[in-house]
Amino acid sequence: MVDVRFDLWRDFRYRRPSIERGYANQTLYVDLSSGEMAVKEVTEQMKEIFVGGRGFGLWLLWNAVKSDTKWDDPENALCIACGPLGGTPIYPGSGKSIVTTLSPATGTVIDSNVGGYFGPYLKFCGFDALEIQGKAPHDVVLCINGMEARVFLFRVQGLPESAHEICDLLTQHFGRDNPRSISVVCTGPGARHTRIGCLNFSWYDVRRKRVRYKQAGRGGTGTVFAHKGLRALVAIWPSVTVGSNGPADEAALREVARLHSREIVELDPKQNEMARVGTTHLVTIMNDHDCLPVHNFRYGCHDEAPNLGQEVYRRIFDKGFDGCWIGCTVACSHGAKDFIPLTGPYRGQRVFVDGPEYETIAGCGSNLGIFDPHTVMEMNFYCDTYGLDTISVGTSIAFAMECYEMGILDKDKTGGLDLSFGNRLSALELIHQMASGEGFGKVVGQGVRRMKELFVEEFGADPRLLQDIGMETKGLEFSEYMTKESLAQQGGYGLALKGPQHDEAWLIFLDMVHNFMPTFEQKAEALHWFPMFRTWFSLCGLCKLPWNDIVPEDNKETPEPAKVMKHVQWYARYFSAVTGRKVAPDDLIRMSEAVYNFQRIFNLRMGFGRRQHDDIPYRAMGPVTMEEYESRRERYDRQLVDLYGEDVLSKSTEEKMALLRSHRQQQYDRLRDAVYRRRGWTPDGIPTLATVRRLCIDFPEVVKLLEAHGVTE
Amino acid sequence: MIRVNGREHPWREGLTIADLLKELGDPYPYAVVRVNEKRVSRPHFERTRIPDGAEIYLIPLVAGG
Repeated sequence: MVDVRFDLWRDFRYRRPSIERGYANQTLYVDLSSGEMAVKEVTEQMKEIFVGGRGFGLWLLWNAVKSDTKWDDPENALCIACGPLGGTPIYPGSGKSIVTTLSPATGTVIDSNVGGYFGPYLKFCGFDALEIQGKAPHDVVLCINGMEARVFLFRVQGLPESAHEICDLLTQHFGRDNPRSISVVCTGPGARHTRIGCLNFSWYDVRRKRVRYKQAGRGGTGTVFAHKGLRALVAIWPSVTVGSNGPADEAALREVARLHSREIVELDPKQNEMARVGTTHLVTIMNDHDCLPVHNFRYGCHDEAPNLGQEVYRRIFDKGFDGCWIGCTVACSHGAKDFIPLTGPYRGQRVFVDGPEYETIAGCGSNLGIFDPHTVMEMNFYCDTYGLDTISVGTSIAFAMECYEMGILDKDKTGGLDLSFGNRLSALELIHQMASGEGFGKVVGQGVRRMKELFVEEFGADPRLLQDIGMETKGLEFSEYMTKESLAQQGGYGLALKGPQHDEAWLIFLDMVHNFMPTFEQKAEALHWFPMFRTWFSLCGLCKLPWNDIVPEDNKETPEPAKVMKHVQWYARYFSAVTGRKVAPDDLIRMSEAVYNFQRIFNLRMGFGRRQHDDIPYRAMGPVTMEEYESRRERYDRQLVDLYGEDVLSKSTEEKMALLRSHRQQQYDRLRDAVYRRRGWTPDGIPTLATVRRLCIDFPEVVKLLEAHGVTE
Repeated sequence: MIRVNGREHPWREGLTIADLLKELGDPYPYAVVRVNEKRVSRPHFERTRIPDGAEIYLIPLVAGG
């Protein structure tokens, strides 16, 4: 048994309110430097404008930091919030938490959503959001006990390093008689030594009698957490019912929840089978459409990709209910039991792997030229327990591997590691080094942007080449979709507020496969509506999967099938039933618009939210190397002729590559102009005064900031 | 005989997914079709033969991600 010592440092008592219409109407503030805690009121204006979840996190963060605050300054706040609909046990996908903070990867705001029970339990304990500032003078565990209406801050010694062991131990310690009443948030040793640390949010798997977890992966939230001296957060709440969230109209809630749940149970087995295979079905589909990243996004398919597909993982996953929130019928959080790692501290031991999902498979598998499903699982396991984001780990290692293959790196520079694509043991060793803070893994763990700078400065690499092949924008690594043939998805990544993560817009099928939006204006409209609706999920504490990964059988008969309007209407009914605010689908978009534009302005405040920050590496637009062009020469030649009227017969590959590059970069710029216009922004990508006034976010400091950037209309 | 989205449909030797979609007369541009446990994407519709007794689902993949 591990000898862990908890010494009480602070004990804060509060009045626990009943939840009314989805809100506790207060937030919890913690200053780790002093140990002081306080309750802050949630105003009606906060609810009206920012709704909850990510909106509340942004507002708290905005008031906590200044324009020159750095991610590792004590005043940087780490906020975790659920949302007014979060914590509803009968509506699928209603248990999300949203983490917001200043990112060590980007230097500006990051938002990252995650399953598990913490956000809902936090609310039922009495808080719509948790805001943590300061840095603890020693390792601490913060425990919010809703039953006792007390918050305990413990000095802690002897906690294990690995996240899965921390979750097990704290669940046992605080919830011996009722482990389901516990949710733990923690990271691991990798978060301390890199900029790509993730946060693990636990949930209790009653049937397997096991603590499971999901990850807030993007942007280094785990790194901020670790630098604050936080070892773990614990929320304790005994039981959840439909009434726990205080819905305004419980009968209406039950009716709309029944409709959506029943549809998923009926249709998921006929569609993507997410309750059996999670998101692994995407691997072969992306591969077939040349969209699966291979070898640092050089290519979009590989003959061995089916080794990583759903037909393989279907047999590896442990069968049973895998919902990361109570009562979710999508239940896609699969995992594998009795997995035996071949490397690292758990070598030869039986462990449970939570995952993998599509992004991890593509990032830690195909993009590295690794097509062994067990290696992907081992990387998944270690990333989670070390507290590392599998997407940034995958994209960063892929970049390092390409630099190795190009001769920019060699064994002298990598500490003896052969980083050729496909080298499984080297990829795993880099992850172990990220955890220990040693070797070349520590360099890779700084992310693509800092590797680019280092390789130019230290190794004399060509900065233009590294800019072309280094798959990051705003400092955040790309998630795992190829965008060369989808201009709209290039915008989906490049124009995303936090950096290239697909949760704002995923338009590959609409654009490239179906060609449903051929004009710039149609693409711009999609790059308005989809990011806005997807933002709404993060305001309310919801998972977006039930919206569009299982669709009604008659959806294809509707005018805009990609919007799945039947479900959007259900979400409006759901919001109305819980909050009592009668809303229609258009109102959901408007809610998001306010928060979305506020976040763009927040970026501006931190020195990032302008046109130049929406640039993407050319690898996201087209072929950087001769090999890439030649591998799809017929396609590129045809496009040069048919789309751009070029004569290709007399031209060399280099000349054709230059022409294609020029055209594609112009296309991206035209798209950017069209999207800025549609969103009500200036040509420099800044929301206009008219836009902020329309959205009621024209706070004096916002107006002053816009005016300082020359925006006066 | 095969089943397509739960409804019976006649099978013949050599029937491909592309043939099936033509016979169904459904104009929707399906990108993925499930044949038993296997997912087949549009680039493979022409050459993928459907076995007798197969359970087929036409997957309306437009969003996701």
